[in-house]
Amino acid sequence: MDDIERALADDAIAPSSGFGIGVMDAVRRAAAEPPPIPFPWGRLVAGLCACGALAWAGTILAVQAGPNLLPAETLSYLAGATPGLGYAALAMLLSLAAARLPRFFASSDEW
Amino acid sequence: MGKEDQDAADAARVVAGDLDAFEGIVRRWQGRLVNLAWRFSRDRAIAEDMAQEAFVRAFRALHTFRGEAAFSTWLTAVALNSYRSRLRTGGPPLVGLDPTRVSAREHGALHGLEGRERDEAVRRAVLTLPARYREPMVLFYLHEMDLAETAGVLGIAEGTLKARLHRGRALLKRRCAALGLTGAAGEEA
Repeated sequence: MDDIERALADDAIAPSSGFGIGVMDAVRRAAAEPPPIPFPWGRLVAGLCACGALAWAGTILAVQAGPNLLPAETLSYLAGATPGLGYAALAMLLSLAAARLPRFFASSDEW
Repeated sequence: MGKEDQDAADAARVVAGDLDAFEGIVRRWQGRLVNLAWRFSRDRAIAEDMAQEAFVRAFRALHTFRGEAAFSTWLTAVALNSYRSRLRTGGPPLVGLDPTRVSAREHGALHGLEGRERDEAVRRAVLTLPARYREPMVLFYLHEMDLAETAGVLGIAEGTLKARLHRGRALLKRRCAALGLTGAAGEEA
């Protein structure tokens, strides 16, 4: 056994005298609480199915309508706004990277 | 009746609605859970609070205990999950005993500590390791569980556990050396 193992061994405390009573009080309180409301999985699945169906229907409509789906004025407006949207997307990506990098370095193994 | 049999019987009684049966489980396991929390927190009051929370969580989850693993393994895994949640918000404790003197990243900050103080600083240094090394080190070395039980609690293979223990020890030695705990650090394996 080396120094590290010796330092890590033989280290224990005894619970306080009232610890067990405190735990049982907390357990009785927990038992008296009403059961948690279950997560509405049925509604979630129904909502997801509805979203999927709408997306599918929208795609089919868009494919069928082709370039006639949007009026020419709207298309030209979107084309004009594209550089601005590009800058906004770039700013969002940079912000995300700035938020992620410190966490990445902080979770690294080494100092 | 063995301890495992008593635990299984008490668990069945609690699930059937006999709340008082949980008292036997608390009596038999309070020392172990408080000490496990103590080894992660190094603070008695926080450790007892964490252990109480773990018992309540175990009580709520008792219906999921099927007896496939030993009760001790199941309970320790529940407690470890509870401690993880708690420690995630609190962050690691200070490495040294005197917060005015010690910064964990200051080179040689703990130079000159002797005996019990140095041992305590080494135990606290374990808590600064990344979770994938800290938890195996705490369970195996501080909590003195065997390899099979530690692997069972962590839900990893024994080979993976051995690798993490080896890597954790090497990392701990480096950190101890950086902190000036030279007697405890020695040469890296």
